[in-house]
Amino acid sequence: MANALLDVQQTFTSLDTQYSMLRLACKTDADLKALADKYGDAQANYEECVGKMLSDDDKEVADLSSQLKTANQKVAKLEAEMGAMSVVIDDITQAVTLGSQLVAKIPV
Amino acid sequence: MSLASPRWASRSRSVFIAACAAVALLGLAACKTSDDAAAAATQMTATAQALADYYAAVGKIVSNTEAIYRLNDQLEGKEYSPRSKAAIEGTKAELASRVKLAQDLAGLAGSFAGLAGSAAPADVAASAQSLDAEVHTLSSTTESSAEQQGLHDALTLLVKAIQERKEREAAKDMMDVAKNFSALFQKEKPIWISREQVYATLSANLAKDLVDAGDTDNAAMLKVALDPFGLTMGALAEDTKTKLKSVAKAQVDVRRDAAEADFASATEAMQTALDEMAKRIEAVAQEKPMAYRKPPLTIANVKTWAAHVMAY
Repeated sequence: MANALLDVQQTFTSLDTQYSMLRLACKTDADLKALADKYGDAQANYEECVGKMLSDDDKEVADLSSQLKTANQKVAKLEAEMGAMSVVIDDITQAVTLGSQLVAKIPV
Repeated sequence: MSLASPRWASRSRSVFIAACAAVALLGLAACKTSDDAAAAATQMTATAQALADYYAAVGKIVSNTEAIYRLNDQLEGKEYSPRSKAAIEGTKAELASRVKLAQDLAGLAGSFAGLAGSAAPADVAASAQSLDAEVHTLSSTTESSAEQQGLHDALTLLVKAIQERKEREAAKDMMDVAKNFSALFQKEKPIWISREQVYATLSANLAKDLVDAGDTDNAAMLKVALDPFGLTMGALAEDTKTKLKSVAKAQVDVRRDAAEADFASATEAMQTALDEMAKRIEAVAQEKPMAYRKPPLTIANVKTWAAHVMAY
C-alpha cells in the first residue's frame, strides 16, 4: 500500500512540476483540456490513495479508541478506590484500636 | 499462660511491633514504584501532547496543500477536481480524529498521574492521627512515643503499598495502549511523509512559477548586502533582475529541502518518543527500574517543528 502511494505521488508531483512546460507544448484547446483533466485525475488518485490508506487504519483507530476508553475507565475506578482509602484506613484503625484496647487490658 | 500475665503482655507487644515492621518493609519495598509511576505519567502526558501537536501540524500541512490546489486551479489552470475535494476532506477528518485520540491519551496519562498523586496519604494522615489519639489514651500501657510513631508510619506505608499495587495494575492496562499508539504511528508514517513531500513540491513549484512570471520582489534578497553599509535599494538593472530570479528559485529549492529534512527529523523524533514511552510504561508495569525519569528528549524537536508549521 505504501508503495502504491509513492507511485501515485510520483506521477502527481512530476506532472505538477512539468505542467507549465507541457501546457506550452499544447497546440489545441482539446490538448489543454486533456492535460488539465489528466492533472485532475493524478491529483484525485493521490488524494484517494491517502484516503484509502487511512480508511484501512480505521479499525485500528477504532480499536485504539476503545482500548483508551477501557483503560480510562479502569484508571478512574482505581482512583475512586483510592479516594475511598480513608474508609479502608478507618477499618484498619478500628481493628488496631480494638487490638490496642485489648493490649491495654493486659497488666504489665 | 494467663492473658493478664506480664509474659503475655510482652509477647503481644512484640507481635504488634513485628507486624508494624513487616508492614513498614512492605511499604519501603514498593515506594520506588510510586515515583516511577508519577514519572511515567508525566512522560506520557508530554509525549501525548507532542503527538497531538504533530497530528495538528500535519493537518495544517493538508489544509495548506488544499490552499495550493485552489491557487493552482485559478492561477495555473491545474484542475482541483470534486474527487480530490471529497478525498482531502476525508483526510482532514481522519487527522482531526487522531488529534482527539492523542488528546485522550494525554487525558489517560492525567488520570494515571492523579492515581500516582492520590490524596490518599492525606486520608491516611487523618486516620492515623485518630489512631494516635487512641494510642495516647492507653495510659495504662507502656507504649513509648517511638512505638506510637512506628505505628503511624507503618499504617502510612501500608496504604502506600496498596496504592502502588494499583499503580502497577494501571500501568499494565496502559502498556498495550502505549504500544499500539507507537505501532499505529509507525504504520502511518509513510502517509504523513508523503503529505509533506507533496505540499513541499507543489508550493515550491508555484513559488518558482511566480518568480518566473516576475510576481515576486526579489530585490529584498539584496538587503543582506546593502543594510550593513547603510545603502538603500535603487532601480535594478534588467540583467540583475534576471539573475535574481535564479537566486530566488535556488532559495526555494534549498528551503523546500530543509522543510522536508525538518519534517523527517520531527517524524523520527515522534516515533522515538512513542517507543520510549511504551518501554517506560512497561518498566513500571513489570516493576523494572526506570533509567530516565524526564520526558523523552526527542519530543522537544517535535514541538519546535509543530510550532513552526502552525505559524505559517
